[in-house]
Formats: sequence, C-alpha cells, structure tokens
Amino acid sequence: MGSFWFLISASWRNRWIAQFRRARSPRYAIALVVGILYIWWFLFRPTGQQGATSALLSRPSETIITLLVVLTTMGTWLFGSDLLALAFTPAEVSFLFPAPLSRRSLIAYKLIRAQIAVLINSLIWVFILRRGGAEVPSLLRALGLWTMFSTLNLHRLGAALVRTSIGEHGRAGARRSKVAIVAFALVVGTLLVAVGRAAPQLLAADGLGAFFHVLDGVLATPPANLVLYPFHAILAPTFAHTTAEWGRTIVPAVVLLALHGWWVLTSDAAFEEAAVSASAERARRIEALRERRATGKVQAPAATGLTLRLAATGHPGAAIIWKNMMCLIRTSQLRLFISPIIMGLVMGFAFSGGGVRREPAQVVMISALILIALLLLLGGRMIRNDLRHDMLNLPLLKSLPVSGGELVLAEVASAALPLAAAQVLLLIVAYAASLFVTTQAVAAPMRFALLVSGPFALLAINAALLTIHNGIAVLFPSWIRLGPTVSGGVEALGQNALSFIGSILTLGLGLLVPTFAAGVVYSVLRDQQAFAAAAAVVTGAVVLGAETYAVVLGLGRAFDRSEPLAV
Amino acid sequence: MIAVRELMKLYGDFTAVRALTFDVGAGEILGLVGPNGAGKTTTLRCLAGIIAPSAGSVVVANHDIRRAPIDAKRALAFIPDEPHLFDYLTVDEHLRFVARLYGVADAETRIPPLLAELELTEKRRSLPGELSRGMRQKLAIACGLLHDPSVLILDEPLTGLDPAGMRRMRATIAARARAGTGVILSSHLLHLVEELCTKLLVIRRGESVGYGTIADIMSTRPELAGRSLEDVFLALTGDGQT
Repeated sequence: MGSFWFLISASWRNRWIAQFRRARSPRYAIALVVGILYIWWFLFRPTGQQGATSALLSRPSETIITLLVVLTTMGTWLFGSDLLALAFTPAEVSFLFPAPLSRRSLIAYKLIRAQIAVLINSLIWVFILRRGGAEVPSLLRALGLWTMFSTLNLHRLGAALVRTSIGEHGRAGARRSKVAIVAFALVVGTLLVAVGRAAPQLLAADGLGAFFHVLDGVLATPPANLVLYPFHAILAPTFAHTTAEWGRTIVPAVVLLALHGWWVLTSDAAFEEAAVSASAERARRIEALRERRATGKVQAPAATGLTLRLAATGHPGAAIIWKNMMCLIRTSQLRLFISPIIMGLVMGFAFSGGGVRREPAQVVMISALILIALLLLLGGRMIRNDLRHDMLNLPLLKSLPVSGGELVLAEVASAALPLAAAQVLLLIVAYAASLFVTTQAVAAPMRFALLVSGPFALLAINAALLTIHNGIAVLFPSWIRLGPTVSGGVEALGQNALSFIGSILTLGLGLLVPTFAAGVVYSVLRDQQAFAAAAAVVTGAVVLGAETYAVVLGLGRAFDRSEPLAV
Repeated sequence: MIAVRELMKLYGDFTAVRALTFDVGAGEILGLVGPNGAGKTTTLRCLAGIIAPSAGSVVVANHDIRRAPIDAKRALAFIPDEPHLFDYLTVDEHLRFVARLYGVADAETRIPPLLAELELTEKRRSLPGELSRGMRQKLAIACGLLHDPSVLILDEPLTGLDPAGMRRMRATIAARARAGTGVILSSHLLHLVEELCTKLLVIRRGESVGYGTIADIMSTRPELAGRSLEDVFLALTGDGQT
C-alpha cells in the first residue's frame, strides 16, 4: 500500500506543479486568475439567496436524482459502457501487473486513485449545497456526499467486474453474477409496474408540481419504495435537512458502502485480463493521453458498411467535416442520449398539464421543445467530434494544407451542424404537433414566425457554444481532458457542473450584443408582431454568427501557433 | 526542393535546434542523423510546418513555410515515426480524406496501385485498430505518397516493418527520389542511411556537426579513414571512443 500511496501522491504533486508552471505563459496566467475568480464566485461568495440551492435539496429534486441514479445504473448494466472503468494507464500495466501484487491490491489501488476525484467532487458539492438552508453542518454534508459518490463509484467498478466475468466465463460467469442481474431486473420491472399502475393519476396531474407530487407518492409507497430503498439510502444523508435526520440515514448509507467495498474486493472476475484489455483499448484510442487524463471512458469505433461520399476535389474544410461526421457515425454513444430523451419526455408530460385535459399533441410539442433546450445545453457535451477530440492528433492536423481558421471553423461546424439539424427536426415536430393542439398559448402567425427563424438561432447558438468548447481545447489543451468523451462517472459531476456553468455564462456574455440588436429590430417592427419576432431572431442570430466567426478566426491564429508539446 | 537557412528552435531557455542550414534538391536523399535528443524530430517538425521556427527560414518548393504555409504543405509529405491515424476512418477512407485535402483529382486511379504497392489492398476496409503496427505505418506512408509530394520527410520510416516491408520501403524511397522527389530521412539505422542517402546531416544537441556527402563527411576525419560510417558518426557526436 505504501508504494501505491507514493505513486498517487507523487503523481498528484507533480501534476499540479506542472499545471501551475504553465501559468508562466500569459494566456494560462489570465485563465488561472479568471478560473479562481469564477470558482470563488460560484462556490465561496457570500450571498443571502437560498432559492436555487434550497431547490436542489427539495423532495422533488431527491426524486429526480434518485431516478437519474437508477437510469445511470441501468445504463451501466445494460450497455456496459463503464467497462473501461477498469482501465489502467500503460505505465501502470507495465509496472504494477508484473509486480508481486494480489488482484485485490490492484483493485484497491484503483479505488484509492478514484478517491481523489470523489473527494474533489464532494467538496464542490458541499460548497454548492451549503446555501441550501438546511441546518446540517458542512462536515456532515461532506461525509454524506463522500459516502454517496464512493458507493456509486464502487458500483460502477463492480458492474464492470461483473460484466467482465460474464464475458470471460459465459454461462458460469452469468450464474455467478445472477444476484446482481436479478436484483437490477427487479428494480426496473417494479418501477415500470408501479408507474404503469399510477398512469391515470399521472395523466390527470395538473401541472409540473402536481405531476411530481403524484410521482413522488408512487415512488414512496410499496412496492416502488422497497426496490428504491438502496438508492434512497445512498442519497438520504446528502438530502438530510436536519442533523438528526442525517444521523438516522448515515448508518444505512455506510453499510451499503461497506457492502459495495466487500463486493468489489471479493469479485473473482478475470480482473487482470479485462484491465489489460481495457487499458490497451484506451491506450490505442488515446495514445497521446497523459496520466492526468487517464480515467476517461472510450467507445471503440465500430467498422460499419455505412460511409459518406467525399468528392476528391473541393474545399478542404469539407474533408475535415466529412472526417468528423464519420467519427460521429462510428463512435457516437447512444446511451448518452437516453437520459435527455427520458427527461424531455417526462418533463414534457409534466409541463403539458396546465389545468386542462392533457392532449397527446401538447405532450409531443412540449417534449420536443424541452428536448431542443436540453440538446442546446447538453449537446456539446454529448458529442465531441471536434477539436476536443482532434487536438490529440495535433501534429497530423498541423501538417495538413489547411489554415488554422478554416480548420477551427470546420471542426466547430462538425459538431454544430448535426446538433442544429436534430434541433430543427424537433422544431418541425413541435410545430406540426402544435397544429393539433386545441388550446393555443401562442398565436398561429407567431408560431410560424418562430418556425422560420428558429433554425437561424439554433445554428448560431450551437456554433457559439461549441466555439467556446473548442476554444478551451485550443487555448488550454493541457488543462482539459481531450478525447472522445467527457470525464466519466458520478465522481466527476462537480467538475463537469463547474465547466458547464462556466461555458453557459460565457455564452451569456456573447449573447449581450445579439440580444440588444434583436431588441432594436423588434422595437422598430413591433407593429407586425410575428414578422418583428422573426426579424429580431434572425438579426440576433446573424450578429451572434458574426461574433462567433470573429472568435473562430482568432482561435485559428492560436491554433497556428500551438505546438504539440502543449497538448 | 527544400532550402533551410539558420533554422533555430527555442523552448524557453533551451535551444532545441541551433542555426541549421542545408538544402535538398530534386532527386536527393538527405539523411538526418544524430543521437537521442539531438533535435531531429524538432527539425523535421519545423520543416513540416507543425511547429514554428524561432528563427531562420524554411522554403519548400519555393514557398516559405511561414509566409505561405498552405502552399508549402501542399508540396510536402511528413511521415512521422509513430503513425498518427484517425481511429474511425478505414484505410480507403484515409486515402480519400487525404485526396480531398490535397486536391488529388485522379485519386480513384491513384489509390489502387498505391494500396497494392504497400500490400494494403485486402485491408482497405479495415480500421487502424484492426491493423498491425507495420500496416499502420504503411498506411501513413500511403497517405504521404498519394499526392505525389515534391518533398518527402520521413522520420524512422522502417519502424515496425517486417524484413520484406523494409526492403519494399527502401525501394519505394529510392524510386521516389529517382522520380525527382527530394527526400529527408531521419533514422538511427546507419546502414540504411549509407545505402540510400546522397547527403548526410549529422546533428548533436541541435547543432550541425557534419553536412555533405558521406565521402565529404568521412574526409573531415582523416584519422578514421577506412573505418565505418558508424565510427565516424560516433566520433562526430562525441559518443565514440576514437
């Protein structure tokens, strides 16, 4: 264990020293100052407001997060996407696997290393939730969060081990894993039956609050509450509102954590083989990846007959977009879209109550609109077929006869175009559904105006948001995780939340001028409201597009100056 | 084909490449040799436009790599020692991608013989992950040769190839040079350099310690007359006991 601690602590120390040394560069120094100010503003600034954080600790929040945890767990078991949770770095495989260490020691090392991310994540959430208005001291909240994240991390690793066992031993492996598989099937089946039985009440629910009240009631009564007990037990200390409640709930949570630890450490899956295989897979995919980014999940590309045609002549930027489309087709991870789709459908269903009898067309319309919003906010994190992936191929990209500006533009377009296309499709679905809704909140001419102008806005916002993501990859490649996927696992939730909110805030700044321009156009043309709205949206989109293009050209110059050693 | 003048590359206080000057004409093969850490890869990356020189100039087919990088890059091909490939593109798609980037209008007629020459025809629908190290190297070479570059820059081109592949690779390099391509070849395999190269540039700690034909370089150390290129190389780079 001493050698593990030495390896982890020395790596951690050296990594941070190397990261801070980068701050000698003016660009990184400015980013460091901005980052510190942002973290202070986000986590530490004094504020009397409790609204948002109180809502995070509310009962509906707990219900939603419980369901999200169930969904995430389901994804882990059904899609096996976390198999690479077993992956070690090539150096670890070279040094640790031939060393006289037991399998249990290797797993323990993996768990210890994951604790760094778990602890950081717990700290971030303690600061976010400390304004929640509850009387639970921060230290106890931190313990609750640590227990929750550690258990979920152990579950992720355990699931990967079980799936490995199935893969290695076929039926025998499946038999050994049958308890976990049966338990999981029981949870999902029971929830589906419970929600199915309550369908009439859910359908009759009047508005969002009532919908979640009914759903919460369903999930809080047998049999759903029985199968959800382990999930509630894990989350309960985090959502406790009083110290007494925390004291009551922490014991079952710790017991579950201990059980998970026992489960993982005593797993007899062919750990080394799977770990070596997972490590080799990751190494092959991200050979340039350094140790500091070594916990990502990677989807191996699938060779399919599907290909897109590419003419031999024409603008070279089209070749970059074509290449990235092939990347999207062959490496897209459908599981990433499951949660937003389910969230969109549930929220669409809940929002479409509104005091009148729920109409199917209204549910479709609102679900489609919510999905558009979710794709706008989360789409850039779900697909990364742009420079966030391609910066790993920096030497190759820089040897191509394409200017930096053209290349960055093509890379941004590679992700923005498919996202905008999906959103436009959803917009058309929403508009078509709106034609069948009997009670209209928005007049027909205005709906048509938004249908016509919406695609401009969607394309511009996607391009702007993805330019922000790509800009970070170009300007600060050594401070972010490059590669085809975002940081994996619940233990990275806090860091992901920080970067997500940061990018939205940056977009907000970028939207100031376009919004002003749109407002001017609308006020000038306001006599014809529908036309004015369409003109304002298009104007805002054009201004945002121009801003984005200017930023892309600047990033192109930065790309031209970037060097492989910086990645 | 390629003219390098006073090329310098600094990383902070560290000088990776210092005042290198050399030329490679049509049909010439320049061997770039030096011990580990001498600055060979940095030099090649500067020539390929991957990293910007701190000072000096690199002119490829009459295009300055800093003033007209696109035109210069269009005239050259850089094949690194570690093949950088896109995991999600097949062999065939890699070549189509390169064809579009370099505007190779007759790609459809060029690709089949190139695949055959490098024994990749049967693997044309395979992803890089399904190829051996040698096959991946061959694919990188095919991508470099597709647009018929005026200057070919090769960093350890025989790495990962089997004996037959090495022989074919040597033949390919020689054939390209005979066809008028200027070739820069970096390798630790001195017998390869001796066999193929018409000129040699020996660098040590980023500086040139020998430049010219092999005969020219041998003549700079008359005390080593009759000894092998390896002995001369070790003497020039300070690693040998003479």
